Amino acid sequence: MSNIAGKAYAMNVITPIHSYMAWINKLIFWIALKMPSTLRGLITLSLIHYARWVIIGKKQFPHLDASQPREDLHYSYMLFFSNFNGSWAQYVDSFTFAIPSGLDLFWKWNIRYPRSVPLTPFHSYIQFNQIQTDHYYNAYPMAAANDIKSAKTVRAALLAFDAKFGATASAASVISAAASEPHTSPSPEQFLQHYNALLRSLQHDMGVMQPLPIISLADQAKGE
Amino acid sequence: MANVSGKAYALTCLCPIRKGQLDGIAYSDEVRYRLHNWGLLEQSPMAKVPQTYLCRYFVLNDVYYESLPGTEFGGTFFDFLSIFSDRFRRKALPKEDHLKSKYLVFSCNLHGDLDTYLRGMWQAISADIQTIWGFCYGFEKVNDADSFIAYIKKCQLNASLFFNGSNDDPLPEQLKALYVKQEFSRFAEQHQGMSAAQLQQAYQAFIQRIEPDNLARPSWQPGQTSLQLGG
Repeated sequence: MSNIAGKAYAMNVITPIHSYMAWINKLIFWIALKMPSTLRGLITLSLIHYARWVIIGKKQFPHLDASQPREDLHYSYMLFFSNFNGSWAQYVDSFTFAIPSGLDLFWKWNIRYPRSVPLTPFHSYIQFNQIQTDHYYNAYPMAAANDIKSAKTVRAALLAFDAKFGATASAASVISAAASEPHTSPSPEQFLQHYNALLRSLQHDMGVMQPLPIISLADQAKGE
Repeated sequence: MANVSGKAYALTCLCPIRKGQLDGIAYSDEVRYRLHNWGLLEQSPMAKVPQTYLCRYFVLNDVYYESLPGTEFGGTFFDFLSIFSDRFRRKALPKEDHLKSKYLVFSCNLHGDLDTYLRGMWQAISADIQTIWGFCYGFEKVNDADSFIAYIKKCQLNASLFFNGSNDDPLPEQLKALYVKQEFSRFAEQHQGMSAAQLQQAYQAFIQRIEPDNLARPSWQPGQTSLQLGG
């Protein structure tokens, strides 16, 4: 069992839903897809790498061979997969506190869903319906979702800075000087001024990552 | 399509596992055992598959009977009717479902289009794929990248909603950006209070070392768990 890969936790939840209610859920998801502003609450939960909801109709379980028995089910099923940073409890609680009504909107029609508030029945519901992951792979176990977003900002800013004030800029200006244009290689003082400005602009994105997992074994056990 | 968010793709598949035993162990348990053993390797086989952000495997044994109390549509209506007869209370109980097959669930977040990804997966780890999927119905017909793509698509389920809270850049770009962030943060910390001339000189050496526009190297490697490997 391995729900954890570095800083990411894999959550799998499967819950039954009446087939006729599944269509309502699909409609709600479709609206959320067409109107991304409805997902603003989710975006504030910046601990999520990726999450998805999949609804399997009661007759839609893959059937690949004549020798495979066909499923005969009363309900359709909703699968929820999430990849997030932090512990199980932090994640579930942040959902409850940040977007309780959004949570209810997505799960409301599922059988015996207790609603997101109060917390304890909701914890029990998720724990009861959670499936443990057998193998979890993360391409960047040392990074949180916020690290990936901020790293993109840092690299883009550094490339732009280097094009103006770095060695490449100096070489380019030497070439332009050969073409009888004024030499614009930055003086050390100019460089320092712009370097400090670069650091100021990246204050919220800088930071060293570490290989240690941020989740304790105790927290992992809580999710089992 | 809900499987796509920008250039990120959400692949979900449920592959039915055959009934049977290998040396007294049920195929589904053998699949689970082999997946657990992937976790003991220094690198997951999935690290070799290009453009994999995050992925997971698990065996779905069965669905759950919802025995816990909850609030659901129609509940209050049955509460009211149960004043008249116990059968209304019993009718409000959830029905019991059981799966007839166990399923290998593969859920993957990847960059790019599905066919290219699955082709790359087959080319990178076909032997590993066969050790896991070899117990599934219909997999005996898979013998090359094309048949693997066709097989996975038969098992694929579409997402109703896919949320991307990260970004959808190609994986090498994400890894290079993480490397640059790590190195530049260290550089900024270690070069505080230097004279302007010294700083400019150190910066130029730093940029030559980290090559921020070179995606190939130096960079973090997929699945890298230690800073010693590449930064």
